[in-house]
Amino acid sequence: MSKFLRTIFLVDLLQGLWVTFRNQHPKHIYTEQYPAERPRVAERYRGAPRLNINPDNGETLCISCNLCALACPEYLIVVTSERNEQTRRKDLTTFTYDTSRCMFCGLCEDACPVDALELTQDFELATYTRDGLIWDRQMLEEGPKPTRYKF
Amino acid sequence: MPEEEAKPEAPKPAPKAPPTMAATPWEGDLPREIKEQFGAQILEASTYLGQDFFRVESAAVIPLLEYLKLDGDFDYLVDITAVHYPDRPQQFDLFYILYSFNRNTRIRIKTQIAETETPQTAVGVHLTADWLEREVFDMFGIRFAGHPNMQRLLLPEDWQGHPLRKDYGIIQMDNQWVKENLGIESGQ
Amino acid sequence: MPETTFLDSTEMVLNMGPQHPSTHGVLRVILKLDGERVRGTECVIGYLHRGVEKIAENRTYQMFAPYVDRMDYIAAVSNGLGYCLAVEKLLNVEAPPRAQVARVILTELNRIASHLFWLGTHALDIGAITPLFYTLREREEILKIFEDYCGARLTTHSFRIGGMLYEIHEGLERQVKAFCDMFISKVDEYEELLTHNRIWVERLKGVGILNADSCKQYGVTGPVLRAAGVKWDLRRAQPYSGYEKYEFDIPTAQNADTYDRYTVRMQEMRQSVRILRQAVEGIPEGPIMAKVSKAIKPPVGEAYVSIEAPKGELGYFIVSDGSTQPYRIRVRPPSLINLQALDRMVRGALIADVVAIIGTIDIVLGEVDR
Repeated sequence: MSKFLRTIFLVDLLQGLWVTFRNQHPKHIYTEQYPAERPRVAERYRGAPRLNINPDNGETLCISCNLCALACPEYLIVVTSERNEQTRRKDLTTFTYDTSRCMFCGLCEDACPVDALELTQDFELATYTRDGLIWDRQMLEEGPKPTRYKF
Repeated sequence: MPEEEAKPEAPKPAPKAPPTMAATPWEGDLPREIKEQFGAQILEASTYLGQDFFRVESAAVIPLLEYLKLDGDFDYLVDITAVHYPDRPQQFDLFYILYSFNRNTRIRIKTQIAETETPQTAVGVHLTADWLEREVFDMFGIRFAGHPNMQRLLLPEDWQGHPLRKDYGIIQMDNQWVKENLGIESGQ
Repeated sequence: MPETTFLDSTEMVLNMGPQHPSTHGVLRVILKLDGERVRGTECVIGYLHRGVEKIAENRTYQMFAPYVDRMDYIAAVSNGLGYCLAVEKLLNVEAPPRAQVARVILTELNRIASHLFWLGTHALDIGAITPLFYTLREREEILKIFEDYCGARLTTHSFRIGGMLYEIHEGLERQVKAFCDMFISKVDEYEELLTHNRIWVERLKGVGILNADSCKQYGVTGPVLRAAGVKWDLRRAQPYSGYEKYEFDIPTAQNADTYDRYTVRMQEMRQSVRILRQAVEGIPEGPIMAKVSKAIKPPVGEAYVSIEAPKGELGYFIVSDGSTQPYRIRVRPPSLINLQALDRMVRGALIADVVAIIGTIDIVLGEVDR
């Protein structure tokens, strides 16, 4: 008898419907109002690459050891350098990084011995052309500058 | 891969033999039983890193699979795969990996076949072999005799070549395809 | 109107094409129909074939690890675990205990995430849209933990050969405990929505039966095999990475139909929470990476290692020739082997059931096609 009543009065369906209505309370709103609210990005997030600069003297930290280029699975880093006769070290001339083929795996960041190449928390990397995704040294040092919207 | 090494005593340099797997012989009830049953067709029963395998002649594979399924309780065919060694006369190594639920052990059956050989299909013994053999055909070009539907599985039907062979150049193939079908230079 | 007799009928061939909202990716299923009943199917796959095994022959072992995540992209951590275990087997090293416990934590979180995604999309295919939002909301919490640990949500590349690269971030224990406490009530909520719902029961009971013998013949593993009554789990049968220390049950069911696979996966989520609680209790101190050289050159040989991925038995067969690049890597994808059994499961079903059955096998086309 009770089974018959449960079937007639749609008890199981109403039970499920009650779960849905319970979740209508405003405290359960889960939407992030992007781009007004920036999302929370972890510290270790593997985002846009950046070449770090020594804060004391403003020179680049990169020693042109080419380890990042050797570690990359996609072979998309090209490092050229010239030998500086006075300090007997290599000076970085160009550093090309192709973010269009990059899979942001982090192997280049792990390989860098001086922490010059780092993957930052920037994830807004879109450009209007394909060539805009191939970054040279200056873009790498400054980082991508996405448009900031004001509300 | 073979390396060239010149010995100063010998009149002409002799190539060093390619390094082989450091496998140790496998003792136990199962290899003894299989060797009694199949005799000379079992070329080797070894174990490497705790994983046992038989190396058999290619004609003995299907009878061995049947025997293992019915008498040995190896009712689950895990995988069929192949490896290509272009420098050897018998170019392909064909592997069958089997598992037994009751014994909780996994064994491998390894056989070597030449390029033009067509081994018997295992579909009659294990139904899993259907798509697994199709994939081996697709990637390596090994045809299986008696297979109900010997067609390519992953690549389109009109694809030329067998990708996982060692003499299949990806970049050259990519350039060729792009030039033919799109008319531009590939960016590789 | 041409003259045909009333009983003259031929088979109609219908194409559930590669672009379809319910085929979980680019899967093409050619159905031979007699009215609404399916008489036979043929699956055409390969639309997502990227040649991962060929790529492996030109990369070193460490370089190949990010590619492995992209095969089963829903549960990427398991792929990484299987690959690292296989290479470690060839090298004959073992990860230190702290790394093993951390690996178990991440892998179980990954299993819950995969089953949550499965539940959401399967319910969506059947027609219940609400569970999708709730399951993805819980999955967000797990992905936040992954992001905090290794920096990426989906293609994590979290394990390295020999252990893990990053030290466990502080707050992992607190986050996992908070997640476990929150999650059980959510699983109860999903069950409240679905388990006794008459529409759900009618759509799923008796559909897509694959009994234990057929499962073994077709080589089907994972929750599909367990729903057929075979109590087999690789974490129990051939334990890896310290699973023998944890206590958990292996859920099975009797009828081997779609509804039973649903209950098995819900139970598996609860058991994963149990393992997580045990694992997070005592994370041992110590190194997080074993002593492995920078250039990994395993000796010549071959090894096959398999783990219990959320979808079945995921196996890696690596042939090494002594150099830094693998000679051949073969991935044994559970989704491909499970998909073969679709033909058997679908005989005599309606078209709507085909959608339910594809959903219940839980395939990911990235793994089927590699």
